Amino acid sequence: MRRFRPDAKAQVSLRAVSSEVKNVFKAILAAALLALLPAVLSAAEALPGSAAKAVEHGAKDAHAAAAHHGLPAAAPVFNLGPLQFTSSTVITWIVALGLIIFAQMATRNIQMVPSGLQNFAEWLVEGMYDFFTEILGKELVKKTFWFFCTLFIFILFTNWIGLIPGVGSIGWGEPDKSSSLPFAVGHLSQPILRGGNADLNMTLAMSLTFFFLWTVWSLQALGPGGIAKHLFSGGDNGKGFMAIFMMGIFFFVGIIEVISIAFRPVSLSFRLYGNIFAGENILESMMVLIPWLGWLLPLPFYFLELLVGLVQALVFALLTSVFTALMCAHHDEGHGEDHGHGEHKHAH
Amino acid sequence: MTGSLHIGLAALGSAIGVGIIGMKAAEATGRNPGAAGAIRNQAIIFAALAEGVVFFAIFLAK
Repeated sequence: MRRFRPDAKAQVSLRAVSSEVKNVFKAILAAALLALLPAVLSAAEALPGSAAKAVEHGAKDAHAAAAHHGLPAAAPVFNLGPLQFTSSTVITWIVALGLIIFAQMATRNIQMVPSGLQNFAEWLVEGMYDFFTEILGKELVKKTFWFFCTLFIFILFTNWIGLIPGVGSIGWGEPDKSSSLPFAVGHLSQPILRGGNADLNMTLAMSLTFFFLWTVWSLQALGPGGIAKHLFSGGDNGKGFMAIFMMGIFFFVGIIEVISIAFRPVSLSFRLYGNIFAGENILESMMVLIPWLGWLLPLPFYFLELLVGLVQALVFALLTSVFTALMCAHHDEGHGEDHGHGEHKHAH
Repeated sequence: MTGSLHIGLAALGSAIGVGIIGMKAAEATGRNPGAAGAIRNQAIIFAALAEGVVFFAIFLAK
């Protein structure tokens, strides 16, 4: 049950709604931008000594050694100069393209009384707007809503499209001689399509994009001095010797806070990648665990993965917005709640 | 028997943590149904934080 707040209702009046729907288009363009980023990042990772690549490949090698039927690595589809486009990149384009087409169709003919696609788009955007207003406050949500809503919608549909049978399981590999079916492959090495968020490049790209925007928003809200004060000062220090002592304490607390902030992109990207990659692996393992029951065993896990896809999209959008609110929102007047930042001090 | 005991222990710990968060969130919603939205948000955030431990254990192992 949502708390009733008349002013929040007034904000989403009929007149404001059409501009909200137009904003979907802007949000979808940002999704396309996000989809392009992993290509750039994976090009950077082609250089030796990249930690992320080593970690990802270490995890995959370990898994390949443990079980032969895991999710295959992202296969390069084509190269454009130094940029490498993989099967995981392609699926993010498909999602972005689908979202762009949806946004265009929903906003082509905007009516005062919405119906059909426009109604659905308005329901989605309004719901997300109310949801993020509760976290970010009324001022900050106007500035940052496009990013968080895009993240949520984009991650959600990237997760769900990866569950469609055939994604990650159709491709090139060694022919399976024992199977009577034509074109059967024993060990799939190059899938045509592969779950987008089952690639660490994608999740890392999104969390680094967030980290960049978070820095910009923090600088806009507080300025460099304000950020330092926010991190290293605990407010009233008292007098005399205690003041010096407390300054020292708050300085070390600030250092811990800086470390925790520096780990946020890592934990954000690993959380999403780990969940989706593990989910795809569970589905593949369940199909081959008991050969004659392979048609039934993955079924409960498919429902689990539908839920995980939604929850992880929500978690990513929620955590990024909370991180933003922790740094930027405590100057906002009128959003009623005290976002006591001590409570979340060590959250990362 | 081979394997990584520490990953199992991390998974056990975070599973207990997520379970406790879910239990308390359900209790809190029962006590104050009006605050269901806020409780759900907090529960998801803290469940995600508790769950993140496993990924550190998996990827930073060895």
